[in-house]
Amino acid sequence: MSAASAAPFVTAFQARRPAEGDPRWLRQHRETALARFAERGYPTRRDEAWRFTDLQPLTAKPILPATDQARGAPILPADARLAGPSHRLVLVNGRYDTRLSAPGALPPGVWLGSTAAALEMRPNVARAALDDVASASDQAFAALGLAFFSDGFILALEPGIVLDTPVEIIHLGEAPTPRAFHLCNAVIAGEGSRASLIETFIGSGPCWSNVTTILDIGAGAVLRHAKVQDEAPEAVHLSRSFARLHRAARYEGVTLTTGARLSREDIRVTMAGEDARLSLNGAYLLRGQQEATIAPIVDHQAPGATTVERVTGVMTDRSHGIFLGTVMVRPGADRTDARQTNRNLLLDAGATATTKPELTILAEDVKCSHGATVGDLDAASLFYLLARGIDEPTARLMLIEAFAADGIDQADVGDALSAQLRRRLDLWLDRAERRE
Amino acid sequence: MAKLLEIRDLHVRIAGGREILRGVDLDVGAGEVHAIMGPNGAGKSTLSCILAGRPGYEVTRGSVLYQGRDLLALSPDERAREGIFLAFQYPVEIPGVNNTYFLRAALNAQRRHRGEKELDATQFLKEVKARLKLLDIGEDLLSRAVNVGFSGGEKKRNEIFQMVMLAPKLALLDETDSGLDIDALRIVSNGVNRLRDPSRGIVMITHYQRLLDYVAPDRVHVLSEGRIVASGDSRLAGELERRGYAHLGSAA
Repeated sequence: MSAASAAPFVTAFQARRPAEGDPRWLRQHRETALARFAERGYPTRRDEAWRFTDLQPLTAKPILPATDQARGAPILPADARLAGPSHRLVLVNGRYDTRLSAPGALPPGVWLGSTAAALEMRPNVARAALDDVASASDQAFAALGLAFFSDGFILALEPGIVLDTPVEIIHLGEAPTPRAFHLCNAVIAGEGSRASLIETFIGSGPCWSNVTTILDIGAGAVLRHAKVQDEAPEAVHLSRSFARLHRAARYEGVTLTTGARLSREDIRVTMAGEDARLSLNGAYLLRGQQEATIAPIVDHQAPGATTVERVTGVMTDRSHGIFLGTVMVRPGADRTDARQTNRNLLLDAGATATTKPELTILAEDVKCSHGATVGDLDAASLFYLLARGIDEPTARLMLIEAFAADGIDQADVGDALSAQLRRRLDLWLDRAERRE
Repeated sequence: MAKLLEIRDLHVRIAGGREILRGVDLDVGAGEVHAIMGPNGAGKSTLSCILAGRPGYEVTRGSVLYQGRDLLALSPDERAREGIFLAFQYPVEIPGVNNTYFLRAALNAQRRHRGEKELDATQFLKEVKARLKLLDIGEDLLSRAVNVGFSGGEKKRNEIFQMVMLAPKLALLDETDSGLDIDALRIVSNGVNRLRDPSRGIVMITHYQRLLDYVAPDRVHVLSEGRIVASGDSRLAGELERRGYAHLGSAA
């Protein structure tokens, strides 16, 4: 993309009210990020990492940041929330919504709030996180997001703190005309702390969510992190997270993608400490013309760390699911154990799966494996179900469900989060069933 | 009254391939237990597959009536709902599909078809537990995925368990006895014997005499090179055990 097509963004940036109350350092970050974006523009298919991504929904016409608040009083659907107790933040069109949020009483040592609130109440935490975003903003969408972000959330746990009740962040986007919401989030889990977090993106209309998340998981800390992306069929969802795992830290990540016309999850994990453990599970369940990418890059820099990735895709109609998994094992990251699996189910002739698991090994004594499959429903399994009297549409759905669930059921994210993932999966299956 | 199963001059080939069944005639009446024996490659499994409706086979001639209706016109799931049960020679492992969920879906599909009320989870579990005990199957089976991680014997016992749960009108057992140790064979046989009923037909396809020591058949047939070449009562099985199939094959 040329600088010329960045022009509307530059104009929009200049038109922003300076009354946003940004501290000086943040204003600088934003300006630098915008300049970077203006210089580089969107990635193109010539960028290897973006070769399979069709950015046409964004490039056809610039989608500018929302400048106004959502009108009316949006309603939070019951199935978007956890069934049980939670510390809940709701962002509507990229801004914290006091009315719908219910953060509840937080134990001492935990800070949870919107990024905007953090800038006032926890400026050091917010700044550290946004400095990290700034150093990642060689990536076009991270740069654009930093330049324009309106809000987000920050969760900070002091060392040793165990937060039993899950944190849930719900992003509700409602836009009758194309509108962008840029968000910057951070989770800072102190040494030995534990928490579980679920993020849910839902909404209606042609929203573009552009999300950057910093995750810093301290030595021995455990973060369980689920993400549900079920945005409107005409929405665009681009998100990237940058996770750093310190010694013996554990990150259980799981993502369920069922929404948006175009979506992409870039997950960059640095295994910085010895014996860190990473598990990334995911499923993308696509129909119509949906395109979804999950692109984890795991960088093993310390010895003895473990990565398990397990991603499944179910594609119907003319949809396209893409898995781009890279595991890099640096010199000295001996005894690394890394496994990547990507299994895909193609249910229609027009559906496509792209799968590229990659390994670069520069250390000794490592165990690394990767595998990918693309296929139709197993004929023998289908016949077995039919032979017991189950009708074909139901039998197919049972097998699709089993396949789709495989990617998320393995995630060790606790009962509350697992139940919610399952519920969202069932919603997708119901929609798939009704159309048949 | 129509026979439970009437097979007339049935010719079947593998889709686009060679002919396997070359004129099979067989009648099974309600209350009868039939054994079909024969050497490898005789077409025994093809016969069970064609009756259950497995894709990949073509009927080139002949007819199959089930309770007087054209069986071959029904889809596999319709056949099952009409009361045909195939105990698979190689039960399929289905990761991610829970046994309980699967069996309840199957049972309720059949109940709906018969205009009966569906069983709720509690009623279903009660039925299941009583029958598990009967077949000496642990209750952990209920929480596992269909056949996943089961030993060969467990898979066969699971087939019989499903059969007992679904209480078919016509049960087809495709080499259910193969790969079973003596204890498992006894359990499986008990399950089959329990299903013997004046209203039900059972067809056992087997290589060996030993199953027939536990489940005494009313009729024994020898299938060879795609045809039934000999039929008799249970004494025929003993004779085959002593003399083998060879002398019958050439007689056809």
